[in-house]
Amino acid sequence: MTITAGIDVGTGAVKTALFDVDGDETKWLARCTLKIRQRDPMQLAAQSFDSVLADAGLDRDDVAYVATTGEGEAIPFHTGHFYSMTTHARGAIYLVPEARAAMDVGALHGRAIRIDERGKVLGYKMTSQCASGSGQFLENIARYLGIAQDEIGSLSMQADEPEKVSGICAVLAETDVINMVSRGISSPNILKGIHLSMALRLTKLLKSTGAGNEVVCVTGGLALDPGLIAALEEEMAEQKIGSTVRSHPDSIYAGAIGAALWGAFRHEKLARLGALPKAS
Amino acid sequence: MKCFIGIDLGSTTTKAVLMDGNQHILGRGITNSRSNYDTASRVAKQEAVVDTRMTLCRRGLAGAAGLEDGLDDFLGELERSFRLEQFLDQLGDLEATCKTQITGDRFAGVEKEVDAALVAIFDELRDTAPALFAPGAKRKSDFFRDIAGAHYLQVAEKVAKEAGLPYELLLNVYDKSIIDVENRPPSEDLTGKFVDALVRVLAATSGDGRDAGDIEQRVKDALAIELEETFVVGTGYGRVTLPFSKEHIRSEILCHGLGAHMMYPKTRTVLDIGGQDTKGIQVDASGIVENFQMNDRCAAGCGRYLGYIADEMNMGLHELGPMAMKSTRSVRINSTCTVFAGAELRDRLALGENREDILAGLHRAIILRAMSIISRSGGITDQFTFTGGVAKNEAAVRELKKLVQENYGDVTINIDPDSIYTGALGAATFAHRAVEDGAAREGVQA
Repeated sequence: MTITAGIDVGTGAVKTALFDVDGDETKWLARCTLKIRQRDPMQLAAQSFDSVLADAGLDRDDVAYVATTGEGEAIPFHTGHFYSMTTHARGAIYLVPEARAAMDVGALHGRAIRIDERGKVLGYKMTSQCASGSGQFLENIARYLGIAQDEIGSLSMQADEPEKVSGICAVLAETDVINMVSRGISSPNILKGIHLSMALRLTKLLKSTGAGNEVVCVTGGLALDPGLIAALEEEMAEQKIGSTVRSHPDSIYAGAIGAALWGAFRHEKLARLGALPKAS
Repeated sequence: MKCFIGIDLGSTTTKAVLMDGNQHILGRGITNSRSNYDTASRVAKQEAVVDTRMTLCRRGLAGAAGLEDGLDDFLGELERSFRLEQFLDQLGDLEATCKTQITGDRFAGVEKEVDAALVAIFDELRDTAPALFAPGAKRKSDFFRDIAGAHYLQVAEKVAKEAGLPYELLLNVYDKSIIDVENRPPSEDLTGKFVDALVRVLAATSGDGRDAGDIEQRVKDALAIELEETFVVGTGYGRVTLPFSKEHIRSEILCHGLGAHMMYPKTRTVLDIGGQDTKGIQVDASGIVENFQMNDRCAAGCGRYLGYIADEMNMGLHELGPMAMKSTRSVRINSTCTVFAGAELRDRLALGENREDILAGLHRAIILRAMSIISRSGGITDQFTFTGGVAKNEAAVRELKKLVQENYGDVTINIDPDSIYTGALGAATFAHRAVEDGAAREGVQA
């Protein structure tokens, strides 16, 4: 058995998952999410690591491998770092075994990743170098409207006449929202409009990876937003893609899960080869 | 007294300039525009009136016994004390508003705890408020939202932990409330606040041969002078939403051109870096616009870029320049998008680059974009005036001077300390002209 931790440092939150892995047997021991919002991600990483250890009743010494992903490479106590494309792919398969594509929607990036049954990345596409229509964009607007993250989805689903948004700069978005509000557009219609424009971009990404007829697992911080999921389903129907969208209550942990599992895999392989670094 | 007012309704800040019949600036006011435009312009105008009252107090107090050498200090005290009154007033409003948010499922079962947490947070905010307005106090911003918001976030983290409440829940209460508080028109009772502030200052600084009664009378006289709004002109991003008729609105390009001309009559090229747009403007000898270029709808290269970076680093906007000035080598920033540049900043910090050098790189990036806008507008001719909020930033100015010298050789570069008010100054000048031209026409008719 290998105790392994995955720490996913994102733009919006730090996610940590603690696993006990023994070959194909995986047991999820503990999880922790901390929102960053103007706090130091490195400090939060240590805090969330200690928190999962406390939940599992373990010490730092019990952990064989601390795997980081996202922007977590600088965490001083990490054993190894994994590219987020591979961790999200692995995490998606863990959460939804029949998924053959992952759609990672985080604060900054949207990614579509095609994967095989073992979580190997077959191909991927990412959004470009502008944060319009990103998770951050949605969060800025929600914050301006005074809406909590977990209220966004249900409000969006009440929309009757979504307001189209296209290519608005994420930073200047607030001004546009002020204009929308002053034009009398309701919060549900504003939010739904953003969801639809995100869904359009994400569906295009998925299409461009060559996918089109599989189960897609949505991962990342926005996977729990039912408004986005609904908009994705609408958009896929619109673009006549035969894929099915699936989310999972733990989708936000996909990166952390993938990191932990890849970490365990690497650790066990090194152990078999007798190449583990000696304990200091 | 006849007053002419210009209001520049920008995307991030709204500025107002109040001018007398001789085109002397009596007062300037600024506020953030994140509330609705109508309120923003009202607040900016009120702030300009506050500043005008300070100017009138200065005039009225000249020669008052015991204040000969200490007039600046005394007026400084008076203004800080007034600001504290204003701050506490809004803080009370924010607390009351926050408390009305504790309803619904999200708060079920923890209503009492959240209420107690809010009381604890606001007690601490009130206790620390006087220090914020003490002489020489460092503030990240002068706007209520920024000052109160930053402190709330800080205190809420501690209080949430102690009370066993989710930090997010307390943040959301603030997010839901701040817009309401900002959208509430400010109380019009300026005189009352000034008098309260004066009483506090006089009580704290007695002696030195001062005649408190005389000082109080002089201040009250200054407060009693009637300020007659003769003509108001609005400009800026939100100008079309102002409840003004067409003759009271001028384009921001015209106002910036004229404002720069008023500050430096020999200006031929103007660079204005505002919150959400960057403009290169060419003007003729009388301040009339001949050509201009603006950025597209993207925050890279605008003031908001630096504002965003300041938030990322948990610093005040005006701390960025001084820190960047300490750099020894500039780090090349590859991201264009502001949000991505923020992430790049975090990456580079994590990789061990120092903050000073990264900031120098970010300042260079913003000025490089401005240079391309200027060149599209027709390049730089002597004299060149740099206006807008970013002109206050010494690191941005350093990069600009370097790049102007490299590309256009020796030209005079003007930067006014009040350059952020350029658009409002232009608008106030248009207001003055509108009345003068009208009077001239009537004279001809008679």
